[in-house]
Amino acid sequence: MSLSRRNFIKQIAALSALTALGIPTKAKAGEGVDSWSKAVCRYCGTGCGVMVGVKDGKVVTVKGDPNNHNKGLLCLKGALLAPVIYAKERVTKPLIRRNGKLEPASWDEALDLTARKFRESIDQFGPESVGYYGSGQALTEETYLASKVFKAGLKSNNVEGNPRLCMASAVGGYVTTFGKDEPCGCFEDIDATSCFFIFGSNTSECHPVLFRRIAARKQNDPKVKVIVVDPRTTNTARIADLHLRVTAGNDLALLNAMAYVIFKEELDDPRFIRKYVHFKDNAKASHSLEEYLQFLEEYTPEKVAATVGVSAEDIWTAGRMFGESPASLSLWCMGANQRTRGVWANNLISNLHLITGKIGKPGSSPFSLTGQPNACGGVRDTGGLSHLLPAGRVIAKKAHRNQVEKQWGIPQDSLNPKPGLHTTALFKAMSDGKVNCLLSLCTNPAHSLPNLHKFNPGMKKCFMACIEAFSDAKTLEFADVVFPPSFWVEREGVFGCSERRYALVGKAIDAPGECRDSVNILVDLAVRMGVDPKLIPYKDSTDVWNEWREVSSITPYNFMGITRERLRKGSGILWPCPTEDHPGTKRRYVRGEDPNIPKDYPHKYWFYGNPDGRAIVWMRPQKPPAEPADAEYPFVLTTGRVIDHWHTGTMTNKVPEINKSFPEAYVEINDQDAARLSVQNGDNVKLISRRGSMVFQARVGDVCNPGLVFVPWFDPDKLINELTIDAIDPGSKQPEFKICACKVRKV
Amino acid sequence: MPMFKSKIGKWLAVAGFAVVVVAVGMYVYVHAAFPETRCEAKHLTDESKMAGDCYACHLKTTPKIAQDWYEGKHGMLLVKCFVCHGQPDGKGAVEFAVDPDPDKVCRKCHDPAVNRMEEKFGLRPQCNDCHPYHQNSIHHEAFQKTESKKTVN
Repeated sequence: MSLSRRNFIKQIAALSALTALGIPTKAKAGEGVDSWSKAVCRYCGTGCGVMVGVKDGKVVTVKGDPNNHNKGLLCLKGALLAPVIYAKERVTKPLIRRNGKLEPASWDEALDLTARKFRESIDQFGPESVGYYGSGQALTEETYLASKVFKAGLKSNNVEGNPRLCMASAVGGYVTTFGKDEPCGCFEDIDATSCFFIFGSNTSECHPVLFRRIAARKQNDPKVKVIVVDPRTTNTARIADLHLRVTAGNDLALLNAMAYVIFKEELDDPRFIRKYVHFKDNAKASHSLEEYLQFLEEYTPEKVAATVGVSAEDIWTAGRMFGESPASLSLWCMGANQRTRGVWANNLISNLHLITGKIGKPGSSPFSLTGQPNACGGVRDTGGLSHLLPAGRVIAKKAHRNQVEKQWGIPQDSLNPKPGLHTTALFKAMSDGKVNCLLSLCTNPAHSLPNLHKFNPGMKKCFMACIEAFSDAKTLEFADVVFPPSFWVEREGVFGCSERRYALVGKAIDAPGECRDSVNILVDLAVRMGVDPKLIPYKDSTDVWNEWREVSSITPYNFMGITRERLRKGSGILWPCPTEDHPGTKRRYVRGEDPNIPKDYPHKYWFYGNPDGRAIVWMRPQKPPAEPADAEYPFVLTTGRVIDHWHTGTMTNKVPEINKSFPEAYVEINDQDAARLSVQNGDNVKLISRRGSMVFQARVGDVCNPGLVFVPWFDPDKLINELTIDAIDPGSKQPEFKICACKVRKV
Repeated sequence: MPMFKSKIGKWLAVAGFAVVVVAVGMYVYVHAAFPETRCEAKHLTDESKMAGDCYACHLKTTPKIAQDWYEGKHGMLLVKCFVCHGQPDGKGAVEFAVDPDPDKVCRKCHDPAVNRMEEKFGLRPQCNDCHPYHQNSIHHEAFQKTESKKTVN
């Protein structure tokens, strides 16, 4: 090892400093690894492949899987995954609440008590008095199974999950535009595009490895344009050619104005529009192109600039960049979804692609990013929401119900025809005493629901059984029974990430204590509740996966070719994948790529989700948020993630480095506002909304727009969701976490 | 003491004293001449200073290194200090080190690249012998492609 003089001196200095302090220097451990096991990262919807290094039955390190889409790269959180498994807060024994305290119990006691409570409630008040609240972090198999147990076994459609708080508007957007959920493009589009339109997504902090791919694309070709639409100057905006710092909640007008620019500059694709597009208004009435253009006249850049909060010139530039680029890729996330007009925002983004024909080609796609490792996959595809059945079918349609009944081998018309309660309605029903028992799996609603003061009483009142790995999850304060599950690589199962890629999380180690696989907990519990064991004859997640493949195979979802063996061998496959020799589908709705389209189909595209085979361009007007800032509450409060922490922090706060560097939430405030309020960096300020108030340390700077404050939501000691609003999108039922009014006081 | 009475004993005492003087002198010199290296000692003694973001403090104590990181790829992509260097009290998941161990740290993300380099040049103890962390195109002026910096990943 060659040492430069400077390095040598530095090392001597360090050594002498250490010696002087009497602290022994750590010997470089030749820490080997016995075996590497393939998995998917436990955190975000990017779904990076990871290799888990095991030594003496313990996970000692995690590195990127070079064969998965992330090409071996990981972000800050992924690289520090190993300590999460060995957190001292792991629940390793079943717990039952006795005299107000959760105390260890046997599996039989915990399962029997839960089964009895559910049974009593069903017998007395009917199946709709019980519910399930799942997660985009549960395995595909777990969600499919839970949904089947509740919908077919117990006849309760109250099957929900946290994707309702996260992806529901994207589902609504895709279904209304294309007739089928899930993105049509793939991550590879990032490498081929020449214009990124990043809307309401802080990709850099929320999907860091994807952001790297975007930045690398821009580095490789400096002509690639990046447009970022965000009221905050986030780290993502650092690579932007054009950052549209819009005012929160007025961006629907921006999207329509960009469409206006595209037509005015003749950057539209008349042939694509003529063959594959259908215009509709809010009343679902069909319109001509001319009528659509007439609608857009209300949204000239000059007319909307003041509302949107950016200059007309910038809107013209954005429209031109998007339209002139040979391939444009839209990426969006919670900034579009967590809104009372989230579905509309989704529709309007897809509009830009449909009027320019920038879809289904390499580098061109409207692509929504998912927040959780298996929300796009496990929950949406397997039907883990109250209105869904597996593989894109809906409860409200009799034909769909009958199809599923046949597949599940239950009598015709035996499924409950009434869709269940969506998330906020479910938790409201719990406080109203209409839902008495709830089983939650791998999620933390007492931290992640909006307007917590409203929903906490329901959780207190209701009998709650939680399958939860960490004892410090806020929700366990309300739990009556806690089941300890195997966590992440302690069991085998499948995650589906943002790009329709399903990959296996392999089992690398044994679970600690008395932890059991959630699949087995669900089966055991269901049987004790009286569900016919023949309905759920699974001994492990592989059995469930194989049934799911069969069930999906008669639909356009088609997972038949994604066998367990292929998943073990490779690093993920994109559905639809009808046969074992099919490589998976990168782009849907395109002849020659999508296996649902016959090879001799006369046209290049077929949007088979819609009856006329055309995608819909929706005429959605600008609508303000449910609670805009006003004279009394002059600030807009927005929440979001930071790169260090993930979701409710139950995993990231187990990593010493992260805890130390990012111990608590803060409020970001614009320097002009701060000056007006005489607030300096580091001062404590009180945020007051109509629902609650809380004190945070202020971070003063120019990240937020004037009039906007931002608080990260990971911190269990500073639950910003006590302040957020529970107003929901009427279509997707997703709450408007991103916008509510508040005031700021120096304390 | 009998030891000092013998000639060898006296010489040993003088040599020992000289070693101590040189070591202390060296320490004092380095302490004064290279202020940034002092942080390690500071981190280890003062618990309260260890909390918080490394970058915020290093922007003041070692501005060049902090700025290079910020402008580099790792800074752009928010691969923060502790991901590679661990935390100063040594209680973190990553070993606290000025020069991270490539096998334990770099390979987490750059396994294919490390393997490629190993094949080409044989095993080197440190990646930063050739890729100084805070000074090359990977860690400085990221995403500003020039003819001389044609890196793909």
